[in-house]
Amino acid sequence: MLSLLLAAGSAAPAADLTPHPAALFIDRPEGAEQIVILDAIDGHRVDRTREVSFEVADVRVARVTATGLVEPLADGATEISARLGDRRVMIPLAVSGVVNPPPVSFEQEVQAILTKHACNAGGCHGKAEGQNGFKLSLLGFDHAADHAAIVSQSRGRRINPSAPEASLLLLKATATVPHGGGRKIDEGSPAHRRFLRWIAEGARADVPDDRPVVALVVEPAEVRLRPGESHQLRVSALDAAGGRHGVTRETDFISNTPGIVGASAAGVLQAGVIPGDAAILVRHLGHVATVRVVVPREGIAFVRPPEISAIDRLVHDRLAALGIPVAERCDDATFLRRASLDTIGTLPTAAEARAFLADPSPDKREKFVERLLERPEYADFWTMKWADILRADKSKIGPQGAVALTRWLHRQFAMNRPYDEFVRAIFTADGPVGHESPAAVFKALDGAEVAARSMSQLFFGVRIECAQCHHHPSERWSQDDYAALAGFFTGVKLKVLPGGGEGVVSRGGVDLPHPRTGVAVPAAALGAAPASFGTPSADRRRLLADWATAPDNPFLARAIANRLWAHYFGRGLVEPIDDLRATNPATNEPLLDHLEARLKALRFDLRAFTRELLASRTYQLAATPAPGAEEDRRHFSHALPKALPAEVLLDAICQATGVRESFNGWPEGTRAVEVWDNRMPSYFLKVFGRPVRATVCECERGTEPSIAQALHLINSPEIEAKLGARHGTARRLAESALAPEAIVEELCLATLSRPPTADELAELLPLFAAGRESVTGSGDGDGALVRRAAVEDVLWTFLNRTEFLGNH
Amino acid sequence: MESFTIGAPARRRCDGVSRRHLLRLGSAGLWGGLSGLALPGLLRAQEARLPGSPQPRAKNVIFIFLEGGPPQQDMWDPKPGAPAEIRGPFKPIQTSVPGTIFTEHCARSARIAHKFTVVRSHTHADNGHATGYHYVMTGRRAPFADGEYPVPTNEHFPSLGSIVARERGSAGTVPPYINLPHPMSAGGPGFYGPEHAPFVIEADPSQPDFEVKDLGRLAGLSEARLTRRRDLLDRLEADRGGLPLSGRSAAMATYYRKANDLITSPQARAAFRIQDEPEKLREEYGLTQIGQGALLGRRLVEAGCRFVGIDAPGWDVHFNCFPSLSTDLIPPADRAFAALVDDLDARGLLAETLVVMMGEMGRTPKVNAQAGRDHWSMAQCILFAGAGIRAGQVIGATDAQAAAPTRDPVSIADFRHTLLWLLGIDSRTEVNDPLGRPVPLSDGGVLIPGLIA
Repeated sequence: MLSLLLAAGSAAPAADLTPHPAALFIDRPEGAEQIVILDAIDGHRVDRTREVSFEVADVRVARVTATGLVEPLADGATEISARLGDRRVMIPLAVSGVVNPPPVSFEQEVQAILTKHACNAGGCHGKAEGQNGFKLSLLGFDHAADHAAIVSQSRGRRINPSAPEASLLLLKATATVPHGGGRKIDEGSPAHRRFLRWIAEGARADVPDDRPVVALVVEPAEVRLRPGESHQLRVSALDAAGGRHGVTRETDFISNTPGIVGASAAGVLQAGVIPGDAAILVRHLGHVATVRVVVPREGIAFVRPPEISAIDRLVHDRLAALGIPVAERCDDATFLRRASLDTIGTLPTAAEARAFLADPSPDKREKFVERLLERPEYADFWTMKWADILRADKSKIGPQGAVALTRWLHRQFAMNRPYDEFVRAIFTADGPVGHESPAAVFKALDGAEVAARSMSQLFFGVRIECAQCHHHPSERWSQDDYAALAGFFTGVKLKVLPGGGEGVVSRGGVDLPHPRTGVAVPAAALGAAPASFGTPSADRRRLLADWATAPDNPFLARAIANRLWAHYFGRGLVEPIDDLRATNPATNEPLLDHLEARLKALRFDLRAFTRELLASRTYQLAATPAPGAEEDRRHFSHALPKALPAEVLLDAICQATGVRESFNGWPEGTRAVEVWDNRMPSYFLKVFGRPVRATVCECERGTEPSIAQALHLINSPEIEAKLGARHGTARRLAESALAPEAIVEELCLATLSRPPTADELAELLPLFAAGRESVTGSGDGDGALVRRAAVEDVLWTFLNRTEFLGNH
Repeated sequence: MESFTIGAPARRRCDGVSRRHLLRLGSAGLWGGLSGLALPGLLRAQEARLPGSPQPRAKNVIFIFLEGGPPQQDMWDPKPGAPAEIRGPFKPIQTSVPGTIFTEHCARSARIAHKFTVVRSHTHADNGHATGYHYVMTGRRAPFADGEYPVPTNEHFPSLGSIVARERGSAGTVPPYINLPHPMSAGGPGFYGPEHAPFVIEADPSQPDFEVKDLGRLAGLSEARLTRRRDLLDRLEADRGGLPLSGRSAAMATYYRKANDLITSPQARAAFRIQDEPEKLREEYGLTQIGQGALLGRRLVEAGCRFVGIDAPGWDVHFNCFPSLSTDLIPPADRAFAALVDDLDARGLLAETLVVMMGEMGRTPKVNAQAGRDHWSMAQCILFAGAGIRAGQVIGATDAQAAAPTRDPVSIADFRHTLLWLLGIDSRTEVNDPLGRPVPLSDGGVLIPGLIA
């Protein structure tokens, strides 16, 4: 603190500027090194790179851009000075290789240019069919194919060895001739010069690569920025021989939260005005690294509320680091409604709400959760959720398959089958598709590759599908890993059974060929050694199930912990919830570590795990943020409002109005959550986002509101029929002897799970005393009509409150 | 009433203007329209105008989007002198403008070529569908990769339709911005928020049972009761007991207001009844989705809609393209466009209605090995009609292969600036993005040369 005050004073000696690196070496003519000049203010590290003025002592040797990028001009040694006011630091520089450069490496140096300029991106030549006849591998993972595409294909017209500058590749890249992608590279730029040199050297693919890149070093790996502050990153490639060279200019920077921290193509981080955090994906030549950035809210003294469990402690740790205050605990009514909708997808009834609110016992919340977990609706609700992501689509797996899978799921959740056993049963499912079992999953996920990538995303949180056609652009997974995983499912067959119907059989299997090279890849789980199956006819999937459910498996528990967290807290610690990887870190890694460990300690008992989540103070926070936490959506400083699934909302409306939905062909009284037929026509379910079960992604379920939803709720004949139904709640109350206050209270409890406020009573009670013309428009009609209209309109009003339509 | 002026000095969210606050601003006006929202941008545009110089005349836009990338050389930029693998099988025909030729499948627009103008030199560098669509609609390069499913987020730049809706507001009770017969995937409101999202008519107006669901008058409910319900809900929602009006609930509140406005207006409901049109006129537009969509578009602008976005998919013709182009794609689009321009003209609406037809890209000069054409954003055509533009012209030209503009290249920014200018909206008007940075409605751009009379 003292140093801060001194630094702020004009007379005090300023701290030294610190250059990174302390000394520079450039060993190739098109190389470039990024300098970062750091300063310290109040103990806070500040990047001054774009404020200092640079000067090279010997201007023949190198030049420096205003942003601190050093480019070589000639072999030699010199010094660069960086000056800020009266402060100055010197950075020695040695340049070599400009006169006698080592030959250009296609794999390292040419591919880097093609990638940085997005030539091989998915929208351009990197897409599966290429672009206008010129196809490169996505992000340059297939050197042989890319070299051939550039040098040999199209009768070699892309390269002109005798006049490199006339090579079509360069004429296109500089848009000298028409190029669909426009100008990508400027003439005379380092990238252009390197291309020219490579072509002049014979456009070789075979430059002995004595220093392949083995890793990236990004400085700094963690950054704390103030709102509005910027910071230059510096990226070096570490080679096998222990050398390093600057590749900042040839690196891609992608922020996972551009609204908090943006990342420019040059590697400058820019903090926005909103406090928060972000992870920056740094990618060069198939190597990835992550930079974590925090923009703390300033001037907040975090007050740590009571902590019920480690969950609260870990959430508070993160909030304290970010300077985000935490909300109050929610009231009983909010908890009741939230826990009920979250856990069993069911709105509490008025009677339930009344009883819960009146219960004086201090542990009533815990006891209520305990009861919820034992209710039959628990299994109904979780069956629906899993039927979505296991793709129980009637048109895909047939009505028998959909019923069989739905029944099996229901039994698992009703008996609280441990999750590892549940997963094992799915992985190894066989037998008739129409018998109660998960066999139909293999009809939905038909083919070894579909099964492998779907299961990987769903159960491991690994989107291996990216590696089907190319190396995963931000992960370690390659096409080898993809083929290896799919090899577990190659023995799965759908057979027509003697008595009709289909059955799943899994016997033996083959190793799948690498999609590009055609060489068979031995079956292996993600990051594991090749599996050894014993007998050739064994069900290969069993070994994968063993691996998945082993105590040290790094994926299974973590993925489901994140999925359940997202369900109950409105957002995953990792988003998207099924894309867990080092380059997409959790917003609170220690918390996700903890949840993973807890789930394992609880032996995958999902109900026990749910109990722990719901017991935390964090789950029981109010939706109203503390002052200063309004913008937080990622760190659980307050409860996040959740959308109600279409089926849950429809059931809630039915329950509150006392009028069941009649689903064509379904028994009277069936709730929407129970309907296994995802294709059953229903306008309500369609506009409110029922998924078609075409993917294993929960994101398929629409949660965005629309005007069509609003129109349907306020002005549809369907909802109006429920309000006015002869046997509905509104008519029953209107014809009862209850006083208006009691009716309003009953309806408020039945919809919002709380008693009405004084303001609400003041607005609603006058309806009961209204004149007839306010109801009929003409003054006709009797008093009973007025009372009935009053009850219907009160209920209509509650049903259309935003409080009713979501879960807060 | 509180008014939120978009040209005002940056009011950053960190300064206490929360999203909730932003969403509430302007909410007192019907559709937020003509409330105070629009004035600064409009006034500044007027001030910038010199006496005697052209005046913006457009009040509405009907925007027909040929999604997938229509082939420029097979429609409005034929190259009869090029080799067969470039010119394709379609024959050139003369148009009503001497010296201007289209291909034979654009016969109806050829007859009225003097009523509109073709820009043949539209060009940009985004060759993806989702990203190109995003580029056309938002004027900004897509922040996602092509092929990724673009999740509409409130970090995206608002689409043209949302900008026009916000700047001009509705002139009637129908929403100011409508999509049909499904959402335009890049037509969202971005960081303007759901208040400026399109109203989507998700139904095919060429079907006999076409109707907009839940717009009917509920049987047995008097106007008095409907009003009573609405008033009650408004008053109760105004006080939410401290619950934050954020995210989804804020969006829902916005939609409620819009839905109410729509239900309460008989004129609005009538506008959707395309069945009221004479059969002969309906046939003139073509009994196709795009034809009836264009006709419904006319009814909607008559009822006060400012921007009708008609999404006509199917143009991504990589394989065996000529049979489908000559039957399913070009003739219905040609017919719809020509009928719309004629109809607007006959009703005296063409002078104030801008009709635009375009796609997100053109197609490769050379027919590929599968008898299709691939993506080619470097050369595209845009059709402009109405709103006082100088009609009967061809603006710009491409080389012998229809591969690149040879003169007057028109960028996305130019297109955007011109469209906004025609509506009297200053494209330099700055709005605050989600970071609170003031950004202009268009990233530069100049008027398309010669388009404005």
